Amino acid sequence: MKEFEPRLVAFVCNWCTYTGADLAGTSRLTMDPNVRIVRLPCTGRIDPLFILKAFERGADGVIVSGCHPGDCHYTAGNMHARRRFAVFQDLLHFAGVDPDRLTFSWVSASEGLKWRDIVNDAVARVRKLGPFQEYQSLSRLDEEFEGEFTSEEPAMAGRQE
Amino acid sequence: MKELQELARTLLSEGQVKVVVGWEDSPGGPRPAFITRPEDAERLVFDHRCVHNLVAYLSPGHVDVARLGKPAVVVKGCDARAAAMLMRESQLSREDVVLIGVRCGGVVRDPREADTLTADSVAPRCPGCDARQPALADHLLGELPPPPPGENRRDKEIARLEAMRPSERWAFWQAELARCVRCNACRQVCPLCYCERCVALKTEPLWIESSAHPRGVMAWHLTRAQHHAGRCSDCGECERACPVSIMLSLLNRKAAQVVEQRFGYVASDDPAAPAPIGAFRTEDTEEFIR
Amino acid sequence: MSVVKTISEEALAGLVRDLVASGTRVLAPAQSSDGAVDYQAIQELGEAVLNGAMPRRSLRAALQPPTEPLFAWKRDARGLKIEPMRDPATPQVIVGARPCDAAGIEVLDKVMDWDYKDAPWFARREATTVISLACREPQPSCFCGSLGLGPSSGQGADLLLHRVDSDYLVEVLTPKGEALVAAHSARFQDTPGAEAPKPAGAADADGMLAGLAAAPQPWVKAVDEWLGTHFADELWQQISLRCLGCGGCTSVCPTCHCFDIVDEPEGTQRGLRRRNWDTCQASLFTLHASGHNPRNDQSARCRQRILHKFHIYPKRFGEVLCTGCGRCVRTCPAGVSLPEVLRDIAEKALAPEPVSGGSA
Repeated sequence: MKEFEPRLVAFVCNWCTYTGADLAGTSRLTMDPNVRIVRLPCTGRIDPLFILKAFERGADGVIVSGCHPGDCHYTAGNMHARRRFAVFQDLLHFAGVDPDRLTFSWVSASEGLKWRDIVNDAVARVRKLGPFQEYQSLSRLDEEFEGEFTSEEPAMAGRQE
Repeated sequence: MKELQELARTLLSEGQVKVVVGWEDSPGGPRPAFITRPEDAERLVFDHRCVHNLVAYLSPGHVDVARLGKPAVVVKGCDARAAAMLMRESQLSREDVVLIGVRCGGVVRDPREADTLTADSVAPRCPGCDARQPALADHLLGELPPPPPGENRRDKEIARLEAMRPSERWAFWQAELARCVRCNACRQVCPLCYCERCVALKTEPLWIESSAHPRGVMAWHLTRAQHHAGRCSDCGECERACPVSIMLSLLNRKAAQVVEQRFGYVASDDPAAPAPIGAFRTEDTEEFIR
Repeated sequence: MSVVKTISEEALAGLVRDLVASGTRVLAPAQSSDGAVDYQAIQELGEAVLNGAMPRRSLRAALQPPTEPLFAWKRDARGLKIEPMRDPATPQVIVGARPCDAAGIEVLDKVMDWDYKDAPWFARREATTVISLACREPQPSCFCGSLGLGPSSGQGADLLLHRVDSDYLVEVLTPKGEALVAAHSARFQDTPGAEAPKPAGAADADGMLAGLAAAPQPWVKAVDEWLGTHFADELWQQISLRCLGCGGCTSVCPTCHCFDIVDEPEGTQRGLRRRNWDTCQASLFTLHASGHNPRNDQSARCRQRILHKFHIYPKRFGEVLCTGCGRCVRTCPAGVSLPEVLRDIAEKALAPEPVSGGSA
């Protein structure tokens, strides 16, 4: 029985956290490999829907990380993000999502060590919580429908190369 | 209300407005009325059964009403907040509408269910209301009634939910949202849901599934609450319109509490007050950020 | 002459237990988590709320769920594979259906078998047995009687129950009803010659349609004809003013059935095609790919609903697409009343022709 390995998605800004994560890599820091990074120009670009989509599609945890206030490459993108995510994570908690599944951080381009700590910490917290069954099983709660897939030959064959 | 009827008659006969949007009586209780002739102004009523937010008819998209010409709209304090928000977001010009404010002592949740205003029949948003005399109004009518009866049950319910473990809260919302069939009544009646291309209608890429399964339902309601943070006027129409009575106002009220606690912002009927989302301060709360 | 039997309250409870034990889903009006009544799956008759509050929604969901997968697709090296979803259509028995809701099912059978046979609908239909319970008294806003139905209508029902003291008189109306009785014959007693009690009061939608019963010609037909010739009438503009296009009416209606087809990808290689409830009241319902929208305002959309129900459906299928349940009236947040609109139209339609002064 394989032990549960959490799968996390990290939405990070290009200028600070992504570079910081890159620094962690070039410094050969060891960290949990459970995080897939999605690079955005700025945390200001990150829509709360990205977080929901990640959870819907199987992420057990999500990290959102960007530049420290004052350091944003676009001046104030992270300030907008800060307000937006303050509200969203409160709403998510209110909906019953455990706060440990969602991690926010400011990680600058020089903070490779911090990125490692953020990742390891987030992964540990999510590992403790287990797979995010509640979210992942949502679309299968189809009470009026008990249909099953039938296995059949392909309806349309692909082009023969 | 005689004062209201006379004012409407005057506004119409002098050509100041082309239509007065108010309430008239009907077998199911007061309902929205669109008075275009001075002699029909006697149909207008206002009392504690007038729960509807008539500002919804000022929202862009309601072309049938807009076609009639410049409107006067009867607004309670909560309704005036919605009008202020539309003005703040450049969806309505102040000079394009005459606002007839009415002093209010609370309204019933459902005029079909209750004739009299009691602690049980009162609309959830009314107890504790501090906007009973709308400031955003060209005229202010009526005597100030006593404050609405009853206690603020919504904030109590929110506190009760917050005391639960996340998994219990999750179970509560799954049960509550299980009834949702994605009819979108909540969106359609909301004065502030005026986006011509609602994000929930986008299919490339598909952010919010339109199906009535729990995954799509969660995405829809969380996104709507998020998009209304700091904008919702707390008129309660979404909850009232919901054919299956989902407690939507809890989500919107929670978002409003967050916005107040974190950013010191409370929805008001002052169009000049800047909206919280879209603005920021260097000292904004960030205790949740590592 | 329908076969008449009796079933006691106790025996009905036993019947429900037997059905549940055999894997049949039993639906009945029951209390939802918020206290209101909806048709829901029950385990025991005690959970049912019979002849109490009107269920919020109709029985549409039992035969056409708010969302249902049609097929799944999978892309692999060989190409695109389509896998139909085969719903085994769990047998279900509806206990205590309102006559208006049962009637709605039968009305919908016609469109479901019109240009093609709607397989998912009929699969569930065949697996469903409807036990209606005659209403003791009309609720405010009901107007089934005005449409030729009534609180003890058996349309769409396989069995029709009438409450008499602590028993139910049972009219067996269809072969499916006979089969159910035969399969559970111990629960039923023969009472040949028994009379079904007359329901108290006629439903007339808060008095809206009361005056029309005495009209010189059937008012529904008059409305039908008027609708066919008054597409541009100012009435549509009037009624649409207060309508907010919320679609609440369509979501609770026993005869509304419009749907949307959507594709929901799961990643890039797999996905589901689903059928979801839709509403003609949505502004985008008729939006063309070109950007043109033939029903671009609420007056066009309100008109569409009335036309569909009281002119187009009768033209095509010989009956109105409405059973007078009154839910649309109850749920409308803006005070639109369908019976009121019908009355306004009927009055116009039945008004005597103006005398023409000149040549024809």
